[in-house]
Amino acid sequence: MEKLTKDGLEKLRQQHAAADKNYIKVGFSSCGIAAGAQEVYDVLCEEVRKHNADVEIKKCGCVGMCSAEPLVEVRVKNMPRVFYGKVDKETAIKIVEKHVGAKMLLNDRIYDMKVS
Amino acid sequence: MGKTVFIKDTTIGGKDRTRDVYGILLGVLRERGLENNVQLVRVVDIGVYGQGVVVRVLPENFLYTHVEDADIVGIVEQSLIGGKPFAAKLVAEGARQLRIVLRNCGVIDPESIEEYIAKDGYQALAKVLSDTPEKTLQEMKTSGLRGRGGAGFPTGMKWEFTRKSPGAQKYIICNGDEGDPGAYMDRSVLEGDPHSVIEGMIIGGYAIGASKGYFYIRAEYPLAIERIEKALHQCREAGLLGKNIFGSSFSFDVEIRLGAGAFVCGEETALIASIEGKRGYPSPRPPFPSVKGLWGKPTCINNVETLANIPVILLKGGAWFAGIGTASSKGTKVFAVTGKVKNSGLVEVPMGTAIEDIVYGIGGGALAGKSVKAIQTGGPSGGVIPKEHFSTKVDYESLQQMGSIMGSGGMIVMDEDDCMPDIAKFYLGFCVDESCGKCAPCRIGGTQMLRLLTKVTEGEGTPKDLEQLEQISHAMQKASLCGLGQTAPNPVLSTLHYYRAEYDAHVKNKKCPACKCAKLVRFLIMSEKCVKCGMCFKACPVNAISGNRESGYLIDQTKCIRCGQCFEACKPRAISRS
Amino acid sequence: MVKAVINGLKVEVPEGTTILEAAKKVQTKIPTLCKHPDAYLHASAACGICIVRVKGTKKMLRACCTPLDEGMDIVTHDPEIVSIRRTVLELILSNHPNECLTCGRNNNCELQSAVADFGIREEFFKKIVPNIPKDDSTGNIVLEPRKCINCGRCVDVCQNVQDVWALTFLQRGINTRMAPAGDISLAESPCVRCGQCSAHCPTGAIVEKDDTQLAWKVLRDSEQYCVVQIAPAVRVALGEAFGFPLGKNVTKKMYAALRRMGFKAIFDTNFAADVTIMEEASEFVERFAHGKSVLPLITTCCPSWVDFMEKFHGDMIPHFSSAKSPHEMMGVLVKTYYAEKNKLDPAKLKVISVMPCTAKKFEISRSREMSASGYQDVDVVLTTRELARMIKQSGIDFASLPDEDCDHILGEYSGAGTIFGATGGVMEAALRTAYSFVTGKKLSKVEFENVRGLKGVKETSVNIDGKEVKIAIAHGLANVEYVLNEVRKAQKENRPLPYHFIEVMACPGGCVGGGGQPYGVTDELRVARAKGLYSDDEAQAVRCSHENPYVQQLYKEFLGKPLSEKAEKLLHTHYQKLPVYRR
Repeated sequence: MEKLTKDGLEKLRQQHAAADKNYIKVGFSSCGIAAGAQEVYDVLCEEVRKHNADVEIKKCGCVGMCSAEPLVEVRVKNMPRVFYGKVDKETAIKIVEKHVGAKMLLNDRIYDMKVS
Repeated sequence: MGKTVFIKDTTIGGKDRTRDVYGILLGVLRERGLENNVQLVRVVDIGVYGQGVVVRVLPENFLYTHVEDADIVGIVEQSLIGGKPFAAKLVAEGARQLRIVLRNCGVIDPESIEEYIAKDGYQALAKVLSDTPEKTLQEMKTSGLRGRGGAGFPTGMKWEFTRKSPGAQKYIICNGDEGDPGAYMDRSVLEGDPHSVIEGMIIGGYAIGASKGYFYIRAEYPLAIERIEKALHQCREAGLLGKNIFGSSFSFDVEIRLGAGAFVCGEETALIASIEGKRGYPSPRPPFPSVKGLWGKPTCINNVETLANIPVILLKGGAWFAGIGTASSKGTKVFAVTGKVKNSGLVEVPMGTAIEDIVYGIGGGALAGKSVKAIQTGGPSGGVIPKEHFSTKVDYESLQQMGSIMGSGGMIVMDEDDCMPDIAKFYLGFCVDESCGKCAPCRIGGTQMLRLLTKVTEGEGTPKDLEQLEQISHAMQKASLCGLGQTAPNPVLSTLHYYRAEYDAHVKNKKCPACKCAKLVRFLIMSEKCVKCGMCFKACPVNAISGNRESGYLIDQTKCIRCGQCFEACKPRAISRS
Repeated sequence: MVKAVINGLKVEVPEGTTILEAAKKVQTKIPTLCKHPDAYLHASAACGICIVRVKGTKKMLRACCTPLDEGMDIVTHDPEIVSIRRTVLELILSNHPNECLTCGRNNNCELQSAVADFGIREEFFKKIVPNIPKDDSTGNIVLEPRKCINCGRCVDVCQNVQDVWALTFLQRGINTRMAPAGDISLAESPCVRCGQCSAHCPTGAIVEKDDTQLAWKVLRDSEQYCVVQIAPAVRVALGEAFGFPLGKNVTKKMYAALRRMGFKAIFDTNFAADVTIMEEASEFVERFAHGKSVLPLITTCCPSWVDFMEKFHGDMIPHFSSAKSPHEMMGVLVKTYYAEKNKLDPAKLKVISVMPCTAKKFEISRSREMSASGYQDVDVVLTTRELARMIKQSGIDFASLPDEDCDHILGEYSGAGTIFGATGGVMEAALRTAYSFVTGKKLSKVEFENVRGLKGVKETSVNIDGKEVKIAIAHGLANVEYVLNEVRKAQKENRPLPYHFIEVMACPGGCVGGGGQPYGVTDELRVARAKGLYSDDEAQAVRCSHENPYVQQLYKEFLGKPLSEKAEKLLHTHYQKLPVYRR
């Protein structure tokens, strides 16, 4: 990476500014990792590869709902952005299959808390 | 975007009707042939608690509470077909979080500097460097930001003192030695948004005239250390650390130092001793670190949360920040809400938010079947606030008036099963363990108090013991060298103040009203209610329960350790606790 | 200057003066258990008893470490302050064993005095006294951590004044205890036995090993012929134990007391100091004027310094004077020269030394060369504090004793011998003799004022026969490193030597401030004791060691000349690098 100038910083900011893309974020702070985020992340990656799903899988920090970890945020175009809590392997598979694939939200898995 | 409906029965106790309402709603939709146009979802948590059946309609975000079956048709017709609110059950959203410190936590990849930059990262630094340090100091003073580590000293003033102290070499230290039981917001920020802390620190360095910064992070936070290390590496690669940052004449670099597990090293002078490689003993002030700190040079120590606020303040302006919060406490505060609460986690709210909004509105209240009794804020240096005072608005002064403190933002929720002398004993025990042992009032006073509290909780206490507790507390508050000892008696004094009757019950009647203190509680199986299911037998970890499904069961009091497992396991409530 | 108010009285003190010190100006004593009046020690702020109030507020400050600020209004005593102090004192008492009657500090313990002053008549809190064993592994300094109140004086003096770092605090909370770093025994630690810890300890947690019973046994054994020697610095400190003014020279009463206690002969280490100068000055002249061996020459009278050097500065061994300390020279001369002349069996001769020093207890068995007579040259070492106790045990009314003289032939001393007890004294004595040895002339003025005083490192030069002799004097071991590094730098860069002659004494102020001296040492006291020695010097007819007729007789009859083969065998020693930790 080159030494940043002020212009360079601005350019970089615009380059990486959020594009309108589908994503799945997995909370990868201590709380998430302790609750099993790594397995969830691996399953999600595997499923997305298998289904060739149109979604990017990312890691992020803790959003604050520590009691609901592993926490997975899913954002698919034209659907509400939601958090799935206490995600296990099965839920992870369903997230890719149903939510990302069939555009169907999962029952009994969503934590619709006041994060912001 | 099509319509989405979230459903959740938030009634406390009783039958969960979420599925019933889901069925009714689905039926109504089918009748109208809309079942494929609307996504109907049962959710685990809907962000509202104890408000009956709750329905949320998206994307408009209409929120309906106490929804009766009869309301469903109205909701479908008004909101799902008409796109309008169903006025009869519409409520405004309750307390919400406002995220400044946690703005990027859970949003960006903490290991990517690009994602941080995409969220306006390092813009504040660029802006600050194109102006004088005095301008930054002014902006910070305008913001009214106060230190988030506990004492709440105005950050702008702290910076100014350090800047004005004579000396060519100065230091800024990020205090990441978070140690209050139950508080972990600093860890979360370091792990989730390391660059915001680094940016705050570089800006601080510029403002006070420091060329060197230290991260003091407790070794128990390996992931935070790893992420800060990575972020620092990225900063050096990008020229955000090192010589002539952004082409200015300002040069700055940062080193990491690990805390070795002593709570007292969060105290500024002990922290400095620890970085210098000495025993982590606090030293008397004056001289203050801003005059004579690390290696004898002027040093500014800021907490993680404080530093994470800095970039936003300088980007949006001190006046913007000062517009949030109360008269004396500006901005937001992150609380780690833990203990006997439904949603334990981190919550960031504007200063001045009522405790009840945090505990019930966001935290979701007590765990199933229990009721909240009090909270403890400020960790072991703080005090309890009974539920009767939950309308108190959290800021530095009002918490102090309640006999507690803001501290680093721990908020531990206690329910009816928590015994106050026992809670006081727990917190005091923490301070006794963590006392550095340097000054006599803390070292010996704490130990003597713990001994007295142990007597009380074991039913051996006397009224004179309570007097001695108060006497030692007073001496410790006034004569201890550092904050640890000065505040260690607070949990005892505040529980004595609010729950004197509980202490008296232990001392005079040898009873523990919360049935918590093992020596004062007895578990008995009431044969008339017992259904001989054997659950208690299975639950007992020490085989104190004998018997079988024919003859029934009996608790051997000599073996019983009073853990309460059988009591919790007994469905027909056939075990008495007294 | 800072103007402020204490207890309603106006006070004006220099900036930086603590409230504790400032209060003395208005005749107010604020109690403290951790702050020692010795300016070498920092305020640790550990005990919490010195709290005072900013008038009209709830705020309390520690008087020991808070500087008086302009306009401050301080209250040092009010009912609340006194009651808090009392509670803290009761807490400290609850953590301290009740063993006053058999404690080394009985009757001069600061905690005992405070408890007495506060009129504490019953134990309010339950006793929680740790069970930590005594450490008497060194045979000269005894640690009793159970009696420690964690004031931190010993750790401060060991680490910051002496730079030895033998003592530290281990563990935390109620388990915090003073101990050698790494929880090893003191003997295995870097301890150099200077005893400054014991001299500053407020309680009986660190004391000198008491050899008074051993001394009595030796002294009362009719089979033995027991002689005594007294070090220079003892004579100006012993009087403090008997109500004499600070720095009062009680040499002649001391001789009388020792004679009444039963010693067969009373000798004076000052005589041996003169002998040391003969050897050391000759060594210096050899090196300086005749180019034999390396410069600078470094003095070795101080056993703590020797131990320190062997552990931490082994590269400096070639610079060390091989001359033994006066104390050891006396021992060997008693068992050879004196024995021969008086036809005494050296096997039955016992030498007891009275020293201002705890390290001297260690020096007598430092190496085989300390038995050059064929027997251990010195048998028992007592500190000034122990001698005071023995005099009291003897029922001697010390203050009323008549003046008496010491015994021939190892007693009479020159003025040069007596100033050995103060920092710069060995240097001054050596210069007086070296000047004469080099020039063959008598000094017109024997005083070298530049080498005197309490500055940590004194650097100066003197002119001997047209040649400039550059000298450095360090006292307080933490000051040594600077001096030695100057030498090392010059050697490395091939520059001219910064010094030709270096004197080091481990204790601040030299032996007058030694670890075995009466308690309560401050610079005021060090100055007073040193003044006593310089007056003794002035009072002597003979001011230079080589002019001492008994010294001349010794060389004529017995040793031949300085650095002779016999002198080398009896009066010189060797050094070796030692590991810092012995484990």
